[in-house]
Amino acid sequence: MGNITRRELLKQTAIMSAGGAILLNRPAFAWADEKSAKSRVVLIRDQKLFAGGDTPDAGITERMLDEAVCKLTNKKSPEKAWASIIKPADIVGIKTNQWNGLPTPPEINDALKARILGAGVKAEDVSVDDRGVKRNPVFARATALINTRPMRTHAWSGVGSLLKNYIMFAEKPSDYHEDSCAVLGSLQELPTVKGKTRLHVLVMFTPQFHHLAPSKFSPEHSWKYSGLLVGFDPVAVDSVGLRIIEGKRREFFKEDRPLNPPAKHIAMADTRYHLGTSDPAKIELIKLGWDETSYV
Amino acid sequence: MVRIWFTFFAVCGILLPEYCFAQKLEVMKYLPNSFEGYRVDELLDYEGEALFDYINGGAELFMSYGLKGMTGCKYSGDDLPQITVEVYEMTSAANAFGVYTQSRDRDEHDYGQGSQSFDDFILFWKDRYYIIITTHKATPESARAMKHFATRLDRAIEKNGAIPAIISALPKKGLADGGYLYFHHYVWLNAYLFIADYNIINITDKTDAVLAKYGEADARAYLLMADYPAEADAMQAFNRLREKFAPEKPEDTRPLLQLEDGKWFSAWQQGRRLCAVFNGATAEQVENLHKVINNLKQK
Repeated sequence: MGNITRRELLKQTAIMSAGGAILLNRPAFAWADEKSAKSRVVLIRDQKLFAGGDTPDAGITERMLDEAVCKLTNKKSPEKAWASIIKPADIVGIKTNQWNGLPTPPEINDALKARILGAGVKAEDVSVDDRGVKRNPVFARATALINTRPMRTHAWSGVGSLLKNYIMFAEKPSDYHEDSCAVLGSLQELPTVKGKTRLHVLVMFTPQFHHLAPSKFSPEHSWKYSGLLVGFDPVAVDSVGLRIIEGKRREFFKEDRPLNPPAKHIAMADTRYHLGTSDPAKIELIKLGWDETSYV
Repeated sequence: MVRIWFTFFAVCGILLPEYCFAQKLEVMKYLPNSFEGYRVDELLDYEGEALFDYINGGAELFMSYGLKGMTGCKYSGDDLPQITVEVYEMTSAANAFGVYTQSRDRDEHDYGQGSQSFDDFILFWKDRYYIIITTHKATPESARAMKHFATRLDRAIEKNGAIPAIISALPKKGLADGGYLYFHHYVWLNAYLFIADYNIINITDKTDAVLAKYGEADARAYLLMADYPAEADAMQAFNRLREKFAPEKPEDTRPLLQLEDGKWFSAWQQGRRLCAVFNGATAEQVENLHKVINNLKQK
């Protein structure tokens, strides 16, 4: 992607099938490279996740994660699924997100850690961290990473995404801020990260679809979606998450309100860095559980 | 340089006189050390890029408008939800206004020159300051304290700042409530609809630009206006826009055409100003916007 205008996109959309107008918020979709295999993304939702109040139910969280990982890996049990992802000799860093307003729920961190330990990894070889990853000895030795965070709108990158979650591995995070964080895909090339990520878990329990005060959580603009997105392709998982955010924005604002600024980094991770696909036609989206107003 | 002080007055038994912690920004001296059970327990003071340490990438929004620094404080109290007061000092009133137009959904006037309030936060701008007051949990106590802090800061900033002249050129009729955005960094060009993924009209920090929404949501047109330092800059921007959006009308000084989605587009240049309308529901809607802007110019 590069130097694309609305007019060019409209011309392209006119050639494509009906319904393509939705592409106007995600121009890269029209330019994704051809790939033969689809990226599998599993969306699982449970309407009872918050039945007890504002805290997600830990048991339901575990079950959602298990079912999603089984479906993703085509395995019949969580044990077999995790065995295909993590080996007992692995040293595993769980890259979480501690943003005060909307952190990765501890129930997710706990469930991931339990499954990694269940796969035979030693307790001293597993760590959950965010802002301390550069100083964390387990992350320094890590052979495998699990990437997890909630999705939310962001004042500069459009959305806080899985791709953005690795910015804490950068020596100087602000080096990745240029052009509304368009270059976040390049974080995957960092030596501490490259080739190590085994699983991406985008938490859509209570995503934030809009904000007013920059970098402040806006409870007025988050909702109980009660979902998890799981996959091996961070671009595909992020782009499905982005469609959910956009769908909620359309419903809430009663008009097509693009993210401001656009989540350019997700498109660029596809077209420039070739980390995966953002093209819905190249994503195998498997939906499990509650399907009402899923937006995808 | 970042300076953060953690001051636990109650534990230390130190009673500081009110206003004694005045920092770089004069307005901070008007915040109290305590209010109805709340006490200051952390002072915030960030200059320029040091703001990254506080709000990471969110700082870029302020940088894109010209940030001098942020000062503020956090208030805590027994069984009271924490309140954070942030006072962003921008390089000009226009820039404080710009940040405000980024963050408000509608215009209220409870504080400063424009504000918006929810139960858990208040934001407003006045002169070259943009102020955010937030709490993690809205309670009657936190609401009273937040209003008190906002009122004091509003009074502390004695004068109003000038609203950028380009705003007065916006046609009033049909303008959506809170429906415009003032900026001079190209990354905000797509704030309301996708226009281009690059700086197609060469917006710089010397360009005053505004995007505005007209009409109801189901028939919404978007007006883009940009004032350049020189007429030649506006002409160059117009030519680039015409080349990309109306290549079938290479000589037209005000191309008006229906695009592939059935919506209408037009663009024109008025001296140092570039104007463009996107997504017009009808040609008439676009023409009307042109007429009003043209009449304003003649007056």
